Amino acid sequence: MKIAVAGTGLTKFGEAWDKSLEDLALEASQEALNEARVTSNELDAIFVGNMLYGKVSGQDHLGSLISSLLNFKGASFRVEGACASGGLAIHLSLQSLIAGTYKNILVVGVEKMTDVSAPEISSYLMGAGSEGERLAGLTFPGLYALMAQAHMKKFKTSREDLAQVAVKNHYHASLNSKAQFQSIISVEQVLSSTSISSPFTLFDASPITDGAAAVVLSSVIPAKAGIHTNNVFITGSGVATDDIDLSSRDSLVELKATKQACQIALKQAGVEISDINIAEVHDCFTIAEILAMEDLGFCPKGMGGKFISQKNTYLEGKLPVNTSGGLKACGHPVGATGVKQIVEITHQLRGSAGKRQVKNLKVGLTQNVGGTGATVVVHILQT
Amino acid sequence: MSSPVQIWRQHKKLHNYLNKVGKLVVWTKIYAPPAGFEHQAPYLVGIVEFEDKSRMPLQIVDCEEEDLKSNQKVVTVIRRIGKTKVEDVIEYGVKVKLI
Repeated sequence: MKIAVAGTGLTKFGEAWDKSLEDLALEASQEALNEARVTSNELDAIFVGNMLYGKVSGQDHLGSLISSLLNFKGASFRVEGACASGGLAIHLSLQSLIAGTYKNILVVGVEKMTDVSAPEISSYLMGAGSEGERLAGLTFPGLYALMAQAHMKKFKTSREDLAQVAVKNHYHASLNSKAQFQSIISVEQVLSSTSISSPFTLFDASPITDGAAAVVLSSVIPAKAGIHTNNVFITGSGVATDDIDLSSRDSLVELKATKQACQIALKQAGVEISDINIAEVHDCFTIAEILAMEDLGFCPKGMGGKFISQKNTYLEGKLPVNTSGGLKACGHPVGATGVKQIVEITHQLRGSAGKRQVKNLKVGLTQNVGGTGATVVVHILQT
Repeated sequence: MSSPVQIWRQHKKLHNYLNKVGKLVVWTKIYAPPAGFEHQAPYLVGIVEFEDKSRMPLQIVDCEEEDLKSNQKVVTVIRRIGKTKVEDVIEYGVKVKLI
Protein backbone atom coordinates (compact mmCIF):
# COMPACT_ATOMS: atom_id res chain seq x y z
CA MET A 1 0.00 0.00 0.00
CA LYS A 2 1.26 3.49 -0.75
CA ILE A 3 -1.29 6.25 -0.23
CA ALA A 4 -0.10 9.86 -0.20
CA VAL A 5 -0.90 12.24 2.62
CA ALA A 6 -1.41 15.11 0.20
CA GLY A 7 -2.58 17.74 2.67
CA THR A 8 -2.89 18.31 6.43
CA GLY A 9 -4.91 20.64 8.62
CA LEU A 10 -5.07 21.15 12.37
CA THR A 11 -6.86 23.62 14.62
CA LYS A 12 -5.46 24.78 17.95
CA PHE A 13 -6.50 22.21 20.54
CA GLY A 14 -8.03 23.50 23.76
CA GLU A 15 -11.16 25.13 25.16
CA ALA A 16 -12.59 26.81 22.06
CA TRP A 17 -15.57 28.60 23.61
CA ASP A 18 -16.26 30.71 20.56
CA LYS A 19 -15.96 27.90 18.01
CA SER A 20 -18.63 25.35 17.18
CA LEU A 21 -17.89 21.84 15.92
CA GLU A 22 -18.68 23.10 12.44
CA ASP A 23 -16.16 25.97 12.78
CA LEU A 24 -13.43 23.55 13.92
CA ALA A 25 -14.12 20.98 11.20
CA LEU A 26 -14.23 23.64 8.48
CA GLU A 27 -10.98 25.27 9.63
CA ALA A 28 -9.03 22.00 9.61
CA SER A 29 -10.62 20.84 6.34
CA GLN A 30 -9.86 24.04 4.45
CA GLU A 31 -6.25 23.98 5.64
CA ALA A 32 -5.87 20.39 4.39
CA LEU A 33 -7.55 21.12 1.04
CA ASN A 34 -5.37 24.23 0.53
CA GLU A 35 -2.18 22.32 1.33
CA ALA A 36 -3.15 19.51 -1.06
CA ARG A 37 -4.18 22.08 -3.69
CA VAL A 38 -7.47 20.26 -4.05
CA THR A 39 -10.92 21.85 -4.07
CA SER A 40 -13.88 20.10 -2.46
CA ASN A 41 -15.23 19.45 -6.00
CA GLU A 42 -12.19 17.31 -6.69
CA LEU A 43 -12.85 15.08 -3.68
CA ASP A 44 -14.55 11.70 -4.10
CA ALA A 45 -15.43 11.12 -0.46
CA ILE A 46 -15.41 12.65 3.01
CA PHE A 47 -14.98 10.49 6.12
CA VAL A 48 -15.69 12.08 9.51
CA GLY A 49 -14.35 10.63 12.76
CA ASN A 50 -16.36 11.67 15.83
CA MET A 51 -17.47 9.93 19.02
CA LEU A 52 -20.04 11.91 20.94
CA TYR A 53 -21.27 15.06 19.24
CA GLY A 54 -24.79 13.62 19.02
CA LYS A 55 -24.99 13.36 22.81
CA VAL A 56 -23.52 16.83 23.40
CA SER A 57 -25.63 18.69 20.86
CA GLY A 58 -28.40 16.56 19.38
CA GLN A 59 -26.68 16.73 15.95
CA ASP A 60 -25.95 13.42 14.23
CA HIS A 61 -25.40 12.73 10.50
CA LEU A 62 -21.98 14.36 10.53
CA GLY A 63 -20.96 13.02 7.10
CA SER A 64 -23.69 15.09 5.57
CA LEU A 65 -23.14 18.06 7.92
CA ILE A 66 -19.43 18.44 7.10
CA SER A 67 -20.15 17.90 3.40
CA SER A 68 -22.74 20.69 3.51
CA LEU A 69 -20.15 23.06 4.97
CA LEU A 70 -17.83 22.30 2.04
CA ASN A 71 -20.56 22.24 -0.59
CA PHE A 72 -19.58 18.62 -1.33
CA LYS A 73 -22.08 16.27 -2.93
CA GLY A 74 -20.12 13.01 -3.23
CA ALA A 75 -19.95 10.10 -0.77
CA SER A 76 -19.80 10.97 2.94
CA PHE A 77 -19.58 8.89 6.10
CA ARG A 78 -19.30 9.26 9.86
CA VAL A 79 -17.15 6.63 11.54
CA GLU A 80 -17.29 5.86 15.26
CA GLY A 81 -15.08 3.67 17.43
CA ALA A 82 -14.89 5.71 20.66
CA CYS A 83 -11.44 7.36 20.92
CA ALA A 84 -10.30 5.36 17.87
CA SER A 85 -12.87 7.05 15.61
CA GLY A 86 -10.20 9.12 13.84
CA GLY A 87 -7.88 6.17 13.21
CA LEU A 88 -10.78 4.06 11.96
CA ALA A 89 -11.86 6.85 9.58
CA ILE A 90 -8.32 6.82 8.14
CA HIS A 91 -8.32 3.01 7.87
CA LEU A 92 -11.65 2.85 6.05
CA SER A 93 -10.61 5.65 3.66
CA LEU A 94 -7.48 3.67 2.80
CA GLN A 95 -9.52 0.58 1.94
CA SER A 96 -11.62 2.47 -0.60
CA LEU A 97 -8.51 4.16 -2.07
CA ILE A 98 -6.74 0.80 -2.46
CA ALA A 99 -9.86 -0.69 -4.04
CA GLY A 100 -9.91 2.16 -6.53
CA THR A 101 -13.42 3.22 -5.57
CA TYR A 102 -12.22 6.71 -4.68
CA LYS A 103 -9.04 8.65 -5.54
CA ASN A 104 -9.08 11.72 -3.27
CA ILE A 105 -10.56 11.57 0.21
CA LEU A 106 -10.84 14.18 2.96
CA VAL A 107 -10.70 12.63 6.43
CA VAL A 108 -11.72 14.94 9.28
CA GLY A 109 -11.55 14.02 12.95
CA VAL A 110 -13.40 16.47 15.16
CA GLU A 111 -14.75 16.68 18.70
CA LYS A 112 -16.49 19.45 20.67
CA MET A 113 -16.39 18.53 24.35
CA THR A 114 -16.42 21.74 26.42
CA ASP A 115 -20.07 22.73 25.89
CA VAL A 116 -21.20 20.48 28.76
CA SER A 117 -20.02 20.01 32.37
CA ALA A 118 -17.19 17.67 33.39
CA PRO A 119 -19.46 15.08 35.07
CA GLU A 120 -21.66 15.03 31.96
CA ILE A 121 -18.77 14.58 29.52
CA SER A 122 -17.31 11.94 31.86
CA SER A 123 -20.62 10.11 31.66
CA TYR A 124 -20.73 10.34 27.84
CA LEU A 125 -17.14 9.07 27.55
CA MET A 126 -18.18 5.98 29.54
CA GLY A 127 -20.08 4.99 26.41
CA ALA A 128 -16.72 3.66 25.21
CA GLY A 129 -16.90 0.95 27.86
CA SER A 130 -19.49 -1.69 28.77
CA GLU A 131 -22.85 -1.37 30.52
CA GLY A 132 -21.49 -3.27 33.52
CA GLU A 133 -18.69 -0.71 33.83
CA ARG A 134 -21.21 2.17 33.64
CA LEU A 135 -23.42 0.60 36.33
CA ALA A 136 -20.38 0.24 38.58
CA GLY A 137 -19.63 3.97 38.14
CA LEU A 138 -16.31 3.10 36.46
CA THR A 139 -15.18 6.25 34.70
CA PHE A 140 -12.37 6.14 32.16
CA PRO A 141 -9.83 7.40 34.68
CA GLY A 142 -11.10 4.57 36.91
CA LEU A 143 -10.72 1.90 34.22
CA TYR A 144 -7.16 2.92 33.34
CA ALA A 145 -6.37 3.31 37.06
CA LEU A 146 -7.25 -0.38 37.45
CA MET A 147 -4.75 -1.24 34.70
CA ALA A 148 -2.14 0.97 36.40
CA GLN A 149 -2.76 -0.78 39.75
CA ALA A 150 -2.26 -4.17 38.10
CA HIS A 151 0.90 -3.03 36.26
CA MET A 152 2.41 -1.50 39.42
CA LYS A 153 1.70 -4.68 41.38
CA LYS A 154 3.04 -7.09 38.75
CA PHE A 155 6.05 -5.19 37.41
CA LYS A 156 6.88 -2.75 40.24
CA THR A 157 6.16 0.18 37.92
CA SER A 158 6.32 3.22 40.21
CA ARG A 159 4.16 6.32 40.68
CA GLU A 160 7.16 8.29 39.40
CA ASP A 161 7.34 6.15 36.23
CA LEU A 162 3.74 7.14 35.44
CA ALA A 163 4.51 10.80 36.12
CA GLN A 164 7.49 10.75 33.72
CA VAL A 165 5.08 10.21 30.81
CA ALA A 166 3.21 13.41 31.61
CA VAL A 167 6.43 15.37 32.21
CA LYS A 168 7.87 14.28 28.82
CA ASN A 169 4.71 15.04 26.90
CA HIS A 170 4.37 18.50 28.43
CA TYR A 171 7.98 19.24 27.45
CA HIS A 172 7.22 18.23 23.84
CA ALA A 173 4.01 20.27 23.82
CA SER A 174 5.93 23.37 24.95
CA LEU A 175 7.36 23.28 21.40
CA ASN A 176 3.94 22.88 19.73
CA SER A 177 1.92 26.05 19.23
CA LYS A 178 -1.23 23.99 18.52
CA ALA A 179 -1.08 22.13 21.87
CA GLN A 180 -3.65 22.72 24.63
CA PHE A 181 -1.02 22.86 27.39
CA GLN A 182 2.38 24.36 26.57
CA SER A 183 3.70 24.45 30.14
CA ILE A 184 6.66 22.45 31.41
CA ILE A 185 5.75 20.40 34.51
CA SER A 186 7.72 18.39 37.08
CA VAL A 187 7.28 14.93 38.59
CA GLU A 188 6.53 16.65 41.93
CA GLN A 189 3.70 18.65 40.36
CA VAL A 190 2.18 15.47 38.95
CA LEU A 191 2.39 13.65 42.29
CA SER A 192 0.98 16.52 44.33
CA SER A 193 -2.01 17.40 42.12
CA THR A 194 -5.64 16.44 42.90
CA SER A 195 -6.45 12.73 43.13
CA ILE A 196 -8.95 11.63 40.50
CA SER A 197 -8.86 7.82 40.75
CA SER A 198 -6.15 6.09 42.79
CA PRO A 199 -3.25 6.02 41.89
CA PHE A 200 -3.94 8.76 39.31
CA THR A 201 -3.85 12.47 39.90
CA LEU A 202 -5.20 15.10 37.53
CA PHE A 203 -1.88 15.17 35.66
CA ASP A 204 -2.08 11.48 34.78
CA ALA A 205 -5.13 12.18 32.63
CA SER A 206 -5.51 13.75 29.21
CA PRO A 207 -7.80 16.81 29.29
CA ILE A 208 -11.23 17.62 27.88
CA THR A 209 -10.51 19.28 24.54
CA ASP A 210 -12.13 20.84 21.49
CA GLY A 211 -10.32 20.45 18.18
CA ALA A 212 -10.19 19.13 14.64
CA ALA A 213 -7.57 17.48 12.44
CA ALA A 214 -7.86 16.75 8.74
CA VAL A 215 -5.90 15.06 5.97
CA VAL A 216 -6.38 14.68 2.24
CA LEU A 217 -5.44 11.13 1.23
CA SER A 218 -4.74 10.46 -2.45
CA SER A 219 -4.08 7.30 -4.41
CA VAL A 220 -2.86 9.25 -7.42
CA ILE A 221 0.60 10.72 -6.83
CA PRO A 222 -0.43 14.35 -6.39
CA ALA A 223 0.65 16.07 -9.60
CA LYS A 224 0.16 19.47 -7.98
CA ALA A 225 1.99 18.68 -4.71
CA GLY A 226 5.08 20.65 -5.58
CA ILE A 227 5.23 22.44 -2.23
CA HIS A 228 6.72 19.50 -0.32
CA THR A 229 10.24 18.17 -0.78
CA ASN A 230 9.22 14.74 0.48
CA ASN A 231 5.91 13.12 -0.13
CA VAL A 232 4.75 11.10 2.85
CA PHE A 233 2.82 7.88 2.35
CA ILE A 234 0.74 5.63 4.56
CA THR A 235 2.07 2.13 3.88
CA GLY A 236 0.42 0.04 6.57
CA SER A 237 -2.91 0.08 8.42
CA GLY A 238 -4.04 -2.48 10.98
CA VAL A 239 -7.17 -2.73 13.12
CA ALA A 240 -7.88 -5.23 15.90
CA THR A 241 -10.61 -5.62 18.52
CA ASP A 242 -10.73 -7.03 22.05
CA ASP A 243 -13.54 -7.45 24.61
CA ILE A 244 -15.32 -4.19 25.30
CA ASP A 245 -15.35 -5.13 29.00
CA LEU A 246 -11.97 -4.73 30.72
CA SER A 247 -12.89 -7.54 33.16
CA SER A 248 -13.32 -10.01 30.30
CA ARG A 249 -9.81 -9.53 28.92
CA ASP A 250 -7.13 -12.19 29.30
CA SER A 251 -4.82 -9.68 30.95
CA LEU A 252 -5.12 -6.34 32.70
CA VAL A 253 -1.53 -5.41 31.83
CA GLU A 254 -1.52 -5.65 28.06
CA LEU A 255 -3.65 -4.55 25.12
CA LYS A 256 -3.74 -7.60 22.84
CA ALA A 257 -5.42 -5.54 20.15
CA THR A 258 -2.35 -3.24 20.03
CA LYS A 259 -0.10 -6.23 19.32
CA GLN A 260 -2.41 -7.58 16.62
CA ALA A 261 -3.05 -4.26 14.87
CA CYS A 262 0.68 -3.51 14.95
CA GLN A 263 1.59 -6.85 13.37
CA ILE A 264 -0.91 -6.32 10.55
CA ALA A 265 0.36 -2.79 9.82
CA LEU A 266 4.06 -3.72 9.96
CA LYS A 267 3.50 -6.69 7.64
CA GLN A 268 1.58 -4.56 5.15
CA ALA A 269 4.33 -1.92 5.16
CA GLY A 270 7.07 -4.51 4.94
CA VAL A 271 8.97 -3.16 7.96
CA GLU A 272 9.93 -4.40 11.43
CA ILE A 273 9.26 -2.60 14.72
CA SER A 274 13.01 -1.89 14.92
CA ASP A 275 12.70 0.19 11.72
CA ILE A 276 10.39 2.70 13.42
CA ASN A 277 12.16 6.03 14.09
CA ILE A 278 9.25 7.98 15.63
CA ALA A 279 5.79 7.28 17.05
CA GLU A 280 2.58 8.94 18.20
CA VAL A 281 0.81 6.70 20.73
CA HIS A 282 -2.45 6.91 22.65
CA ASP A 283 -1.59 8.30 26.10
CA CYS A 284 -5.17 8.95 27.24
CA PHE A 285 -3.70 8.21 30.70
CA THR A 286 -0.03 7.88 31.62
CA ILE A 287 -0.24 4.07 32.01
CA ALA A 288 -1.47 3.82 28.41
CA GLU A 289 1.85 5.09 27.02
CA ILE A 290 3.76 2.58 29.18
CA LEU A 291 1.54 -0.23 27.85
CA ALA A 292 1.96 1.04 24.27
CA MET A 293 5.78 0.86 24.48
CA GLU A 294 5.48 -2.77 25.58
CA ASP A 295 2.61 -3.93 23.35
CA LEU A 296 3.99 -2.33 20.18
CA GLY A 297 7.27 -4.11 20.87
CA PHE A 298 9.59 -1.17 21.61
CA CYS A 299 10.57 -2.78 24.93
CA PRO A 300 9.80 -6.03 26.81
CA LYS A 301 6.53 -6.49 28.74
CA GLY A 302 6.81 -4.88 32.16
CA MET A 303 9.74 -2.63 31.19
CA GLY A 304 7.71 0.29 29.79
CA GLY A 305 8.11 2.43 32.91
CA LYS A 306 11.90 2.09 32.92
CA PHE A 307 12.10 2.55 29.13
CA ILE A 308 10.39 5.93 29.40
CA SER A 309 12.07 7.04 32.67
CA GLN A 310 15.47 6.47 31.04
CA LYS A 311 14.53 9.23 28.55
CA ASN A 312 14.65 6.92 25.49
CA THR A 313 11.47 8.46 24.13
CA TYR A 314 12.31 12.13 24.54
CA LEU A 315 12.71 14.37 21.50
CA GLU A 316 16.48 13.96 21.84
CA GLY A 317 16.26 10.22 22.57
CA LYS A 318 16.69 7.16 20.37
CA LEU A 319 12.93 6.79 19.72
CA PRO A 320 10.97 10.04 20.12
CA VAL A 321 7.38 9.32 21.18
CA ASN A 322 4.54 11.86 21.16
CA THR A 323 6.48 14.86 19.90
CA SER A 324 3.09 16.58 19.49
CA GLY A 325 2.68 16.44 23.26
CA GLY A 326 0.52 13.33 23.01
CA LEU A 327 -3.03 13.24 24.30
CA LYS A 328 -1.93 14.49 27.72
CA ALA A 329 -0.45 17.83 26.71
CA CYS A 330 -1.52 18.44 23.11
CA GLY A 331 -5.07 17.54 24.14
CA HIS A 332 -7.59 14.80 23.32
CA PRO A 333 -10.60 15.89 21.25
CA VAL A 334 -11.64 12.27 21.08
CA GLY A 335 -12.64 11.85 17.41
CA ALA A 336 -9.79 14.07 16.19
CA THR A 337 -6.85 12.34 17.90
CA GLY A 338 -6.37 9.49 15.40
CA VAL A 339 -6.18 11.99 12.53
CA LYS A 340 -3.95 14.40 14.51
CA GLN A 341 -1.44 11.58 15.01
CA ILE A 342 -1.23 11.14 11.21
CA VAL A 343 -0.75 14.92 10.81
CA GLU A 344 2.10 15.00 13.37
CA ILE A 345 4.01 12.07 11.87
CA THR A 346 3.50 13.52 8.37
CA HIS A 347 5.04 16.82 9.45
CA GLN A 348 7.93 15.03 11.14
CA LEU A 349 8.65 12.90 8.04
CA ARG A 350 8.36 15.94 5.77
CA GLY A 351 10.75 17.98 7.90
CA SER A 352 8.15 20.65 8.69
CA ALA A 353 7.85 20.07 12.45
CA GLY A 354 9.70 23.28 13.36
CA LYS A 355 11.06 23.46 16.91
CA ARG A 356 10.21 19.81 17.62
CA GLN A 357 11.72 18.42 14.42
CA VAL A 358 13.51 15.06 14.73
CA LYS A 359 16.30 14.45 12.20
CA ASN A 360 16.92 11.53 9.82
CA LEU A 361 13.41 10.09 9.87
CA LYS A 362 12.26 7.40 7.48
CA VAL A 363 9.48 5.42 9.16
CA GLY A 364 6.81 6.55 11.63
CA LEU A 365 4.02 4.78 13.53
CA THR A 366 0.71 5.89 15.02
CA GLN A 367 -1.35 3.96 17.58
CA ASN A 368 -4.96 5.01 18.27
CA VAL A 369 -7.01 3.22 20.95
CA GLY A 370 -10.76 3.05 21.52
CA GLY A 371 -12.06 2.48 25.04
CA THR A 372 -9.77 0.48 27.29
CA GLY A 373 -8.23 -1.26 24.28
CA ALA A 374 -11.39 -2.64 22.72
CA THR A 375 -10.36 -1.14 19.35
CA VAL A 376 -6.80 -0.39 18.28
CA VAL A 377 -5.68 1.11 14.98
CA VAL A 378 -2.01 1.24 13.98
CA HIS A 379 -0.64 3.08 10.95
CA ILE A 380 2.82 3.07 9.39
CA LEU A 381 4.02 6.11 7.43
CA GLN A 382 7.12 6.40 5.28
CA THR A 383 8.85 8.90 3.03
CA MET B 1 -29.78 7.02 34.21
CA SER B 2 -31.61 4.11 32.57
CA SER B 3 -35.22 4.25 31.41
CA PRO B 4 -37.96 2.31 33.28
CA VAL B 5 -37.98 -0.42 30.62
CA GLN B 6 -34.18 -0.75 30.72
CA ILE B 7 -34.25 -0.94 34.52
CA TRP B 8 -37.02 -3.59 34.42
CA ARG B 9 -35.00 -5.67 31.94
CA GLN B 10 -31.86 -5.37 34.08
CA HIS B 11 -33.69 -6.31 37.28
CA LYS B 12 -34.84 -9.60 35.71
CA LYS B 13 -31.19 -10.73 35.67
CA LEU B 14 -30.31 -9.70 39.23
CA HIS B 15 -31.19 -13.03 40.85
CA ASN B 16 -28.25 -14.65 38.99
CA TYR B 17 -25.85 -12.56 41.06
CA LEU B 18 -27.21 -13.12 44.56
CA ASN B 19 -24.78 -14.22 47.25
CA LYS B 20 -21.87 -14.95 44.93
CA VAL B 21 -18.48 -15.17 46.63
CA GLY B 22 -15.40 -13.86 44.88
CA LYS B 23 -12.02 -12.20 45.39
CA LEU B 24 -10.78 -8.70 44.68
CA VAL B 25 -8.32 -8.57 41.77
CA VAL B 26 -7.70 -4.79 41.53
CA TRP B 27 -9.48 -1.69 42.80
CA THR B 28 -9.43 2.10 42.66
CA LYS B 29 -10.99 4.96 44.63
CA ILE B 30 -12.83 7.33 42.32
CA TYR B 31 -12.81 10.98 43.42
CA ALA B 32 -14.19 12.54 40.23
CA PRO B 33 -17.65 11.05 39.63
CA PRO B 34 -19.64 11.00 36.42
CA ALA B 35 -23.16 12.45 36.22
CA GLY B 36 -25.52 10.47 38.48
CA PHE B 37 -22.81 9.39 40.95
CA GLU B 38 -21.95 12.77 42.50
CA HIS B 39 -23.68 11.96 45.80
CA GLN B 40 -21.52 8.84 46.31
CA ALA B 41 -18.10 10.31 45.60
CA PRO B 42 -15.53 9.25 46.53
CA TYR B 43 -16.33 5.58 46.05
CA LEU B 44 -14.46 2.30 45.56
CA VAL B 45 -14.73 0.15 42.43
CA GLY B 46 -12.86 -2.99 41.57
CA ILE B 47 -12.70 -6.07 39.41
CA VAL B 48 -13.98 -9.15 41.25
CA GLU B 49 -13.20 -12.72 40.21
CA PHE B 50 -15.83 -15.30 41.14
CA GLU B 51 -15.32 -18.97 41.93
CA ASP B 52 -16.13 -19.92 38.32
CA LYS B 53 -13.26 -17.59 37.19
CA SER B 54 -15.67 -15.09 35.58
CA ARG B 55 -14.90 -11.43 36.37
CA MET B 56 -17.07 -8.35 36.84
CA PRO B 57 -16.47 -4.66 37.51
CA LEU B 58 -18.32 -3.85 40.77
CA GLN B 59 -18.57 -1.13 43.38
CA ILE B 60 -17.18 -2.09 46.80
CA VAL B 61 -19.39 -0.86 49.63
CA ASP B 62 -19.35 -0.49 53.43
CA CYS B 63 -15.57 -0.17 53.75
CA GLU B 64 -12.60 2.17 53.30
CA GLU B 65 -9.72 1.93 50.79
CA GLU B 66 -7.35 0.99 53.68
CA ASP B 67 -9.40 -2.16 54.39
CA LEU B 68 -8.73 -3.60 50.95
CA LYS B 69 -6.06 -6.10 50.03
CA SER B 70 -5.36 -8.25 47.00
CA ASN B 71 -7.50 -11.40 46.82
CA GLN B 72 -9.70 -10.02 49.62
CA LYS B 73 -12.85 -12.18 49.85
CA VAL B 74 -16.05 -10.40 48.88
CA VAL B 75 -19.71 -11.29 48.45
CA THR B 76 -22.32 -9.74 46.16
CA VAL B 77 -25.11 -7.54 47.52
CA ILE B 78 -28.01 -5.76 45.84
CA ARG B 79 -27.88 -1.99 46.25
CA ARG B 80 -29.22 1.14 44.57
CA ILE B 81 -27.43 2.32 41.44
CA GLY B 82 -27.08 6.07 40.97
CA LYS B 83 -29.47 8.72 42.23
CA THR B 84 -33.21 8.48 41.70
CA LYS B 85 -35.79 11.28 41.44
CA VAL B 86 -38.87 10.85 43.64
CA GLU B 87 -41.15 9.91 40.74
CA ASP B 88 -38.65 7.59 38.97
CA VAL B 89 -38.25 3.82 39.11
CA ILE B 90 -35.48 2.96 41.60
CA GLU B 91 -32.60 1.21 39.84
CA TYR B 92 -30.94 -1.64 41.72
CA GLY B 93 -27.80 -3.48 40.81
CA VAL B 94 -25.00 -5.68 42.06
CA LYS B 95 -22.19 -4.44 44.29
CA VAL B 96 -19.86 -6.27 46.68
CA LYS B 97 -18.99 -6.03 50.37
CA LEU B 98 -16.07 -7.53 52.27
CA ILE B 99 -16.49 -10.86 53.99
